[in-house]
Amino acid sequence: MADLVAARPAGGGRGIPWGRIAGYAAMVLAVIVVGTPLFWMLSGSLKTTQEVFSYPPTWFPSHPRWENYVDAWHAAPFGRFYINSLIIMTVGTAIKMVNAVCTAYALVFLRFPAKNLIFIIILAGLMVPEQVTILPNYITLSDVFGQSWINTYQGIILPGAAIAFGTFLLRQTFLGLPREVIEAARLDGCNHLRLLWDMVIPMARSSVITVMLLVAVAKWNEYLWPLIITTTEEMRPLTVGLTYLVNRESNTQWGQVMAATVFVIVPLLVVFAFAQRLIIEGVTAGATKG
Amino acid sequence: MAISVAHHAQVAYKPQTRTARRWRPSGEALLFLLFVGPNLFFFAVFSFWPIIYSAWLSFHRWDMIAPIKQYVGLDQYRYLLHDDVFHKVLANTAVYTVGAVGGTLILGLLVALLLNQPLRGRDGARAVIFAPSLLSGAAISVVWIYMFDPRFGIIARLLDLVHLSSPSWLTDPAWAMPAVLIVSIWKDLGFATVIFLAGLQAIPRDLYEAAKVDGAGVLWRFRSVTLPMLSPIVFFLGVTTILNTFQSFDIIQVMTKGGPVDATNTLIYYVYQQGFIAFNAGRSSAASLTLFVLMLGITLLQVRYAERRVHYG
Amino acid sequence: MGMQTNRRTLLKGAAAAATVALTKRSPVFAAPAVVQSTGSTVEITYWGSWAGDLGKAEQEVVKRFNESQQDVKVDYQYQGSYEETAQKLTAALAARQTPDVSALSDVWWFKFYLNQVLAPLNDFIAADKLDTSDYVDSLWNEGVRKDVQYWIPFARSTPLFYYNKDAFREAGLEEGPPKTWSEFAKVAPELVKKEGDKVTRTAFTHATGAGYVAWLFQGVDWAFGGAYSDPDFKILINEPKSVAAGEFYRKSVQDGWANITQDPDNGPDSDFFNGLTASTMASTGGLVTILANAKFDVGTHFLLEEETFGCCTGGAGLSVLATSPKEKQEAAFKYIAFATSPEITTFWSQNTGYMPVRKSAIDSKEMQDFFAKNPNYKTAVDQLPKTRQQDSARVWIPNGDQIIGKGLEQILVNNQDPQTAFDNVARTLTEEAQPVIEALKAIGG
Repeated sequence: MADLVAARPAGGGRGIPWGRIAGYAAMVLAVIVVGTPLFWMLSGSLKTTQEVFSYPPTWFPSHPRWENYVDAWHAAPFGRFYINSLIIMTVGTAIKMVNAVCTAYALVFLRFPAKNLIFIIILAGLMVPEQVTILPNYITLSDVFGQSWINTYQGIILPGAAIAFGTFLLRQTFLGLPREVIEAARLDGCNHLRLLWDMVIPMARSSVITVMLLVAVAKWNEYLWPLIITTTEEMRPLTVGLTYLVNRESNTQWGQVMAATVFVIVPLLVVFAFAQRLIIEGVTAGATKG
Repeated sequence: MAISVAHHAQVAYKPQTRTARRWRPSGEALLFLLFVGPNLFFFAVFSFWPIIYSAWLSFHRWDMIAPIKQYVGLDQYRYLLHDDVFHKVLANTAVYTVGAVGGTLILGLLVALLLNQPLRGRDGARAVIFAPSLLSGAAISVVWIYMFDPRFGIIARLLDLVHLSSPSWLTDPAWAMPAVLIVSIWKDLGFATVIFLAGLQAIPRDLYEAAKVDGAGVLWRFRSVTLPMLSPIVFFLGVTTILNTFQSFDIIQVMTKGGPVDATNTLIYYVYQQGFIAFNAGRSSAASLTLFVLMLGITLLQVRYAERRVHYG
Repeated sequence: MGMQTNRRTLLKGAAAAATVALTKRSPVFAAPAVVQSTGSTVEITYWGSWAGDLGKAEQEVVKRFNESQQDVKVDYQYQGSYEETAQKLTAALAARQTPDVSALSDVWWFKFYLNQVLAPLNDFIAADKLDTSDYVDSLWNEGVRKDVQYWIPFARSTPLFYYNKDAFREAGLEEGPPKTWSEFAKVAPELVKKEGDKVTRTAFTHATGAGYVAWLFQGVDWAFGGAYSDPDFKILINEPKSVAAGEFYRKSVQDGWANITQDPDNGPDSDFFNGLTASTMASTGGLVTILANAKFDVGTHFLLEEETFGCCTGGAGLSVLATSPKEKQEAAFKYIAFATSPEITTFWSQNTGYMPVRKSAIDSKEMQDFFAKNPNYKTAVDQLPKTRQQDSARVWIPNGDQIIGKGLEQILVNNQDPQTAFDNVARTLTEEAQPVIEALKAIGG
């Protein structure tokens, strides 16, 4: 244990444990500092415009205005946006995961010339800014074998189907797996698909979960591309839906904007609250064992 | 798809056992291509083609609509080389990257060290600190605009309590960069903390014991044990945070639009601004190529450095 | 992007009354809602930038159009802000999958005109016998190039001078602001309120670059006798009179009676309705929000003068895409004519706060009744005939608005000498204008 900052094990109860008190104080401070924006958002989502623009600002809304949520919900088809976000996240994450796992497996366990070069090429994918890809990809998708994929789910999802970061992380993990076990399984006549599914993935479970979490979160929060590629509201995800409320051409009702922001982030927070242990342990193991 | 993979996998297996060291075209190669192919294909079509196209565009002048793209040679690069705004953009990018990456890693490590202590409630604290990294940057920036407001914001209120007057965070060129840095660090801190925490917990306890026996003090133990043992984590976080920060767009787009007076105009924002506001595709492409090369260079440097220095336990 | 501010339903009662009146009076609305044959219906796609309450008003306009006849069916789709709509239209052009009619703001339509992707509308106007003289001249003429109409005014607004009547009264200004900016500068210190050393209310608040200060400064520059440029892109912003206007802005802050807004996104509106400044310039579109939130007596006034009066137009118009087949272009034009008809412009402006684009609408009884209830709104409409279209440098040079805005930020925030700031702006504008001038030559327009 890196017992550095505080918390000398209180051996024998000599006096006041200042170190421990300082530790708690620092922890509480960190939680307050990080948590305040989240609290401020929740509190703001229940305020009237007048209360939002009042000084001194109030921590708690004086008369919680729950209608902000109702109004925000009716300002745009948020139900539909939820469905779209779910579809995009689920399918997009699935495709990316297959790509990440297969690529990492191949890079580690299969022999091929110039594997490192291929790895570097994939890593380079991390360095292409999204802004550069928008116009070319739009043009590409406007004519896929004579069909337009603009304003379709495949159009939203496929440009993000490749994955570099996850491949990178999983490759690190796979490299760290005990070679002997895998060699032994191979000698037992185990084919690669079985090996991948029955041994490698379970052994690297935490890393796979980590990558899945990060990919899913990124998918859920995607904004620029879905905005550009969708032309009708039936296809739009939640993040784009948010602009229906913060568009500068309309009157920004801060309470409603905060409420709509809650719509976007609550699903992630709920999932996180339930799967917290799994997720954090996944992230944890993913990074260290890699 | 799955069936054909399985088929090839079985085919692939046999030659594998016979050929010992030397590679030759085989089922295994085919399987490799099958596994890596889709990923490479999607990259080729949706990332590499655009960057190649962009490289080509950077030698042209084009407003993104006109049918003709006028060849201008190196003019776009020459322009950037001599443009004061672009120099400022590069400086901003450096400040933003160093600030955000440094801030995130240092604070992340400190918080991780703190949460590594046997404190009650630290799991809850860890959860709260991790939460911002899940949130949409665009959505949460809207909340921050409201917090930074020097008239009605909560930050002004807190400063007021200690008799300080709030700076004009988003409209004063001197304070806009600190403001976006704060949001950026706030958002990424949790991820770094959790990863560092994992690294700390993986360090074998006996290393500390040994150091203690050698009479090493707290700081010395940190330098001689903790830091070297954490180096793979620092490397991983370093690479990913730098790449993320270079491409961090949402916060700046929502909070400052690169202003005031270009105070928060970073490379990625400049690429967007020149491309999609000024519709100057050539200049935008030249800037994005600069960004691409910069990121590639830094990553390669990191990888080389890591090969020599990172301590894999 | 003339429009930086917020708008919302004006007095709902009045709007509802107008709606009833419309359905009763206009024969267009009496048409049976039953669709007889679908075979001959032309379906067109319409891209716009209005969501939320504005989106609802827009949907209502489209619904009424669709119910008024069977030849054309419009599908309205929101595409994001004006910038985002223009970005998407650009991508759509590259992919050859364009809508038939699109909203384009004052700073965007010209770019598409330059590339000859907007349909010339004169033939349609003639065929439809549209009474073009009934449109407010400054708004109508903005969309004309070489006698051909490409862009028809729809959601238009102008800057307006807002002031806190209570504050002005306390300072002895019963009649509101003085006539000129110089006179205003003399009385302005009286409007500043202090607690100890701390200024709690300034006399005037400026917008930021992101809040389109270049749009608001346009009128001030004109009033001082200057201009950003002439119509042929000769840059004039660093000429003495514009520099004098810039110096007036610089001094306003340095003398301590004006400040720059703390709300980079929504402009100075929120400073004003929260009583942090005694006056400001903001869009006519902000009126509703300001009235709804201010806890004092709000006054509105024409923009102040100096050598002369100056006030510009802003907002968005509608264009037909030349990429659409003829019959769809024709259908799209029918929709535009409907959406800017006197009845609909009345409905639209009462529900959104945009200016009515037809003279007969302004003179109509509904509008006059509406003015009686909303005298501040009348100020905005009365000012409308005095407005003129913006200088080419801001609206037609790519990113011109932000280039000028940045120069003004240098003056306001960094206290830079206006001559230096505007020299820099002029240099950049001249450079950026070059491709536009060449493109114009190429199309002979």
